[in-house]
Amino acid sequence: MIAALPRLHAVTDDRVARIEGLPRLVAAMAAEAGAALAVHLRTRTLPAGTLLALARELGAALAPHGAWLVVNDRADVARVALARAVVSGRTGLGVADVRRVAPSALVGRSVHDAAEIRAAAAEGSDFLVAGSVFATASHPQGPVAGLDVVRAAAATGRPVLAIGGLTPARASDAVLAGAWGVAAIRALWDAADPAAAVRDFLAALPRDGTIALVVNGEARQARRGLTLAQLLDDLALDPRAVVVEHNRRIVRRDALAATPVDEGDAIELVHFVGGG
Amino acid sequence: MTATIVAPAFADRALEIGGRTFRSRLMVGTGKYRDNSTMVRAIEASGADVVTVAVRRVPLDRSKEEGVLHYLDASRFFLLANTAGCYTAEDAMRYARLAREAGFNEFIKLEVIGDQQTLLPDTAGLLEATRQLAKEGFRVMAYTNEDLITALRLEDAGAAAVMPLASPIGSGLGLLNPYHVRIIKSRLKVPVIVDAGVGTASDACLTMEQGVDGILMNTAIAEARDPVTMAHAMRLATESGRAAYLAGRMPKREIAVPSSPTTGMLS
Repeated sequence: MIAALPRLHAVTDDRVARIEGLPRLVAAMAAEAGAALAVHLRTRTLPAGTLLALARELGAALAPHGAWLVVNDRADVARVALARAVVSGRTGLGVADVRRVAPSALVGRSVHDAAEIRAAAAEGSDFLVAGSVFATASHPQGPVAGLDVVRAAAATGRPVLAIGGLTPARASDAVLAGAWGVAAIRALWDAADPAAAVRDFLAALPRDGTIALVVNGEARQARRGLTLAQLLDDLALDPRAVVVEHNRRIVRRDALAATPVDEGDAIELVHFVGGG
Repeated sequence: MTATIVAPAFADRALEIGGRTFRSRLMVGTGKYRDNSTMVRAIEASGADVVTVAVRRVPLDRSKEEGVLHYLDASRFFLLANTAGCYTAEDAMRYARLAREAGFNEFIKLEVIGDQQTLLPDTAGLLEATRQLAKEGFRVMAYTNEDLITALRLEDAGAAAVMPLASPIGSGLGLLNPYHVRIIKSRLKVPVIVDAGVGTASDACLTMEQGVDGILMNTAIAEARDPVTMAHAMRLATESGRAAYLAGRMPKREIAVPSSPTTGMLS
């Protein structure tokens, strides 16, 4: 079930929740991403009835594309609107209580430091939303945890969504730090064309059946199960003309075909150039 | 145009490093040439059989140029990989191991740089890397200062050759400290190859006159207005300096001594 957790999470705030025609915009984004997108309804200012009505509208816009509706904090609204997941904030309901209210939804916890990460893992959170990774427009002076909070959250073995200042350009950094996916607010909703922004994010995120690699310092995606020999072939490189280092270990030419690459692997491909 | 081969007209033993014998005492780099065809012609003109190369990432977008072996016939030259650009022993050893895996030979021109402005070596890191790589079967040619004590330590650490500088890399300042280079040569059993700093043919000649076993250069040829002709000049200068050393120079005197008979003058 977790394997189906979308990679891209569009998180609304009070401002976005009031956008005229939000369901139509969300449908356009879902049409781009399909099951790779989740939209989080997160607002503290709407009364329960209005919130539920909006949740149902968003759910109806997302469902035809296989995209997810996620509701923040309000497990009751999540249950009634058939949301796929609930994210509980620092001061929200605990995981066990959310499950009591919305037993078929996944439960994610918002985490900001080592103590919160430990607590969320201990209460059995299905996934973690870790941030703030980068400074954000909404909190330019707010505390920034950097990619370390992503690494620490990923160390629990649970899927991690990186949040806070994420852009398409930074998404691969978050993935290489161990994030399953990313959550964004302004980089999506404030884009001139949010559907195009969805496309840009997805290009930087692993697709199903793909893994993230670093080849010669560049983030790249490769299909799962790829061997080093196949990677060289994909790059149109002659294995006799390069030396391959895989996670700091040299791989001999005759072992390239038998060496698979894995998520997060660092690969260096070197050759001789002019030098003194 | 390839220069005519000038066969040494003097008796000399072959240069031997780490169990391999080399024809030429001049070794040349392959960096900084304006184009690959000039590089190849200059190397031909130099008569060198040892050419140095660097280890770098393959460009992943194939629009950029190929590696040096695309232009240089690896079967005709002895490829000496360097660890240029490495600032720690660990980095230099990593590059050395990658270079050896290319499969040409077990030689490495070991550089552990200590300072960006002067590119002078970090001798502590150099010693550490030399010791470890020698243990792993590398033939280490260690680029170092013109410092006798470091040179002796490098020999103890298992270096196959010690490579004191004439002056900083790419500086073209020539041989700054002939006395120290000479004393290093006199005290070491392994070959001494002066590496870096020569600017023109007279620098190469003066260096070889100190009795060192060979000389390695790159910029002096690559940045000459006409690299092919400069390579030819360097070849002649290296042979000339070597021959002059073997011939043994006359002593220096601070008074004139006539060359013509002082007897038989008209009264």
